[in-house]
Amino acid sequence: MIRSRAIAVVMGLAAAAPAAAESGREWLDRMTAALNGSSYVGEFVSESAGRVERLRITHRVQDGVVSERLVSHSGSGRELVRENDEVVVYLPDQKLAIIERRPSRSDLLGALPPFENEMDSWYKVAYVGRETALLGRAAVIAVRPLDGYRFGYRLWIDEDSHMPVRSELSDAGGKVVERLRFTQLTFQDDIPDSAFEPALDRSKLRWVRQAPQIADESPGWRAVQVPPGFRLSVSGLQAVAGSSTPVRHLVYSDGLASVSVFIQQPVPGKAPVEGSGRSGVASAFSTVVQGHQVTVVGEVPPRTLKVFATGLRPVTDGAAVIPAAVSASDRRN
Amino acid sequence: MTDRIKEQLSTFLDGELPDQETALLLKRLERDDELRGALSRYSLIGAVLRNDGDVPAARQVAARVSAAIAREPAQDGTGLGMPGRGALLRSGGGLAIAAGVAAAAVLMFQQVSLRDETAPVAVLAQSAESPIEPVSAVDDADESLPASYVTPPVADGPGSLPPAQFANYLVAHYGYASPLVRRSVGAGLISTGDEAALAEAATDARTGQ
Repeated sequence: MIRSRAIAVVMGLAAAAPAAAESGREWLDRMTAALNGSSYVGEFVSESAGRVERLRITHRVQDGVVSERLVSHSGSGRELVRENDEVVVYLPDQKLAIIERRPSRSDLLGALPPFENEMDSWYKVAYVGRETALLGRAAVIAVRPLDGYRFGYRLWIDEDSHMPVRSELSDAGGKVVERLRFTQLTFQDDIPDSAFEPALDRSKLRWVRQAPQIADESPGWRAVQVPPGFRLSVSGLQAVAGSSTPVRHLVYSDGLASVSVFIQQPVPGKAPVEGSGRSGVASAFSTVVQGHQVTVVGEVPPRTLKVFATGLRPVTDGAAVIPAAVSASDRRN
Repeated sequence: MTDRIKEQLSTFLDGELPDQETALLLKRLERDDELRGALSRYSLIGAVLRNDGDVPAARQVAARVSAAIAREPAQDGTGLGMPGRGALLRSGGGLAIAAGVAAAAVLMFQQVSLRDETAPVAVLAQSAESPIEPVSAVDDADESLPASYVTPPVADGPGSLPPAQFANYLVAHYGYASPLVRRSVGAGLISTGDEAALAEAATDARTGQ
């Protein structure tokens, strides 16, 4: 049964408690609840770094299992399908599919981390006001970084459904680097399994599997210099396509933004790479540390990536973790 | 393509097209090759005109682009050329522009130079409430919507990370990306992109690397 928008509006009005609505944090909490519990089908437009991409998203939460399918409307037939821990990126135009499986599903539920007091040191959340967005009235929430090590967000949260129907990612100068807008959004309770089947012939694809991470108590490597506010949240080993040996994967988070650090053992006869790249909101920086290939990826400014990459050391060094220096003039609160 | 559509394109690139009209324009883009081509051209023009790099060089190129705009035939017979030029030029003293969107031919992985961004300068976020004067040369930002839509600096060269390697790591990172941007990261992964990059990834797959 497809719920009409009108029904969703009625339900939203019943649950929204508008009298207490004008708090940025409360709106984020509502958004988190909507993201965690809603099943929907929609279309959105992503604009970033000189490209416009129109995509269709099908998202289902059913019995604690999250399924999602992203389909590009560019005509390439490319898709991304995930079900809890497994993500498959289909690139039929390249006859390629990349499978990524993770050991834990907790992070994939779409929940925002709670905005605890510690985050106040790095972000300011503010209710900006109401605007009429493409899909109706929305509360505009600004999540602004207090230093230059992270991006800022502006969110248009639908007044009724509490879904983020528009978002903008801004750099330290306040300039938008990525914009995402929903053009259609329909809530649907009973999305069938078939809706998550890729519309392509999988037998013709070459499969690349990035094996599950192996739980690893000792990180082996650590960032001895980290941007302020970032903490190690995940550490493990995993297979990554293109690497013949397991790659150490460390994930750091400031509670909102995340950074993945990949450390690859030296490969005889293969020269390490130093450089950088960007794909939409994500950037990467790669360098060599004590002969190891270190690549840092995340939805943070490139400067942040470089701080991580150049601050990595083997744990045997016994070096203590120190935050990247932030002078008084670097802070603006 | 009518002048009205051209005007819509220009306004869209400026980030000023109302959402309802944007939706209609995007639908039209899906089925109109000519319109997509025009959007790509106008986006390129905007990127060139944006005053964030070598100003003299940018002005030289901008002059050539402006001439190209003037030469562009009005296909609807009105003889008006490309409307929206004024819109393209009106912000930021005539050179700054809200651009950065392109149509179908887009790159999935752009190689960027970090040199400028990692230079030893203070990196400050902006706040209307901030009593501290920012020391970096950044534009004012407050609670209002950002006025411009920027394409980060792009530079090809020896400092580039191999795209296939980037793609593999990005897939590994995807599940850990902030829920606020995970859809955007996913969109980047399946965007129509650099064919050479993906061909390299496919080669890696064939060779089992």
